[in-house]
Amino acid sequence: MLLSSVVLILREVLEGALLMSVLLALSWHQGYRLRWALASLFVGAVGAVLYAAEFKTISSWFDYVGQEVVNASLSLLIVLFLTLFSLFYTAYKDRYDRQKIVFMSIAVALTIIREGSEILLYLSGFTGKDDVLPSVALGGIIGAGIGMSVGALLYYSLIDFMSAYTRRVAYMLLALFSAAMLSDAVTMLTQADWLPARHYLWDSSSWLAEDSLMGQLLYALLGYEATPTALQLAAYICGLLLVLVLPSLYKKGVASDASN
Amino acid sequence: MKYLYIKLISYFLFYLCVTSAHAATPEFRIEIKDHLFFPAELTVPANTKVKLRIFNLDPTPEEFESYELNREKVIVGNSQTVIFIGPLLPGDYPYFGEFNPKTAQGIIHAE
Repeated sequence: MLLSSVVLILREVLEGALLMSVLLALSWHQGYRLRWALASLFVGAVGAVLYAAEFKTISSWFDYVGQEVVNASLSLLIVLFLTLFSLFYTAYKDRYDRQKIVFMSIAVALTIIREGSEILLYLSGFTGKDDVLPSVALGGIIGAGIGMSVGALLYYSLIDFMSAYTRRVAYMLLALFSAAMLSDAVTMLTQADWLPARHYLWDSSSWLAEDSLMGQLLYALLGYEATPTALQLAAYICGLLLVLVLPSLYKKGVASDASN
Repeated sequence: MKYLYIKLISYFLFYLCVTSAHAATPEFRIEIKDHLFFPAELTVPANTKVKLRIFNLDPTPEEFESYELNREKVIVGNSQTVIFIGPLLPGDYPYFGEFNPKTAQGIIHAE
């Protein structure tokens, strides 16, 4: 019980912690105060409690695929706000700071709602079971601790030396995270039969298994998938373009408007 | 004129019924009881989409998870859910209950 709760909580915490670290690092490079993270933690936690409390009802929506639809919607909203952030971040260097902070906060809060609700549902299965509760709680604390430590490690490696370089790495990680989210939304909608299902394009599980440690880490950070479908791959590429290419085009547009 | 509309609408409804019957996805039932999957081994047709209807008869939640099937879904206690899988190449696809991975193990054979 101890080990499985470590793994489960770690997996859920890792995704939120990594996004938060990347965005906190970008905030640091922008010279923002990092208070926004506390607000989005709080909002995310409240949202996760509400989602978990209504989970049974939500799951039965749309002929029992409500969970996929809501999770896909959350993922799509996260992509939307990360894209908005990257647009403002790239096009307006020292303006619209409040907007950039709001976009980051919403993206983190939505991530916490998704991952947090799953943790709460998991833990809810152990209420009243005094024999296993201590080991589950301990496992959860260890899992959350490891997840946050990895996040902290990433944050500190993204802020310190050579700020131009680390800033670019952080931005690149943001693009990969966003791509993973979009690909995840496609997976969810395929699982719900809202999008057509197809055979996968390749199988790289013998090279890097998804359930290996490295596979798990790459899944949380980059959305690694050993057997992706064409639709998932297309979504991933779209997600990358939204953060890496669209903002540069938008910036050019803004610059030419300003010169006219 | 009115008669024509009714005729057209009934044609359309008939068409819907026929096509949806044609597209009917094979459905399989899996139950969760005492943190175990029943049946633990299930054979489904390969190369076609399949609908799994999962009943969680335990009071506690469970998460259906499979790396091979690329699926992940929480099923709260005393409830049912639906997961679409496939089309699958012939082969074995293990899955497990992430909330009780020691006991809740299952496998889907596609053939």
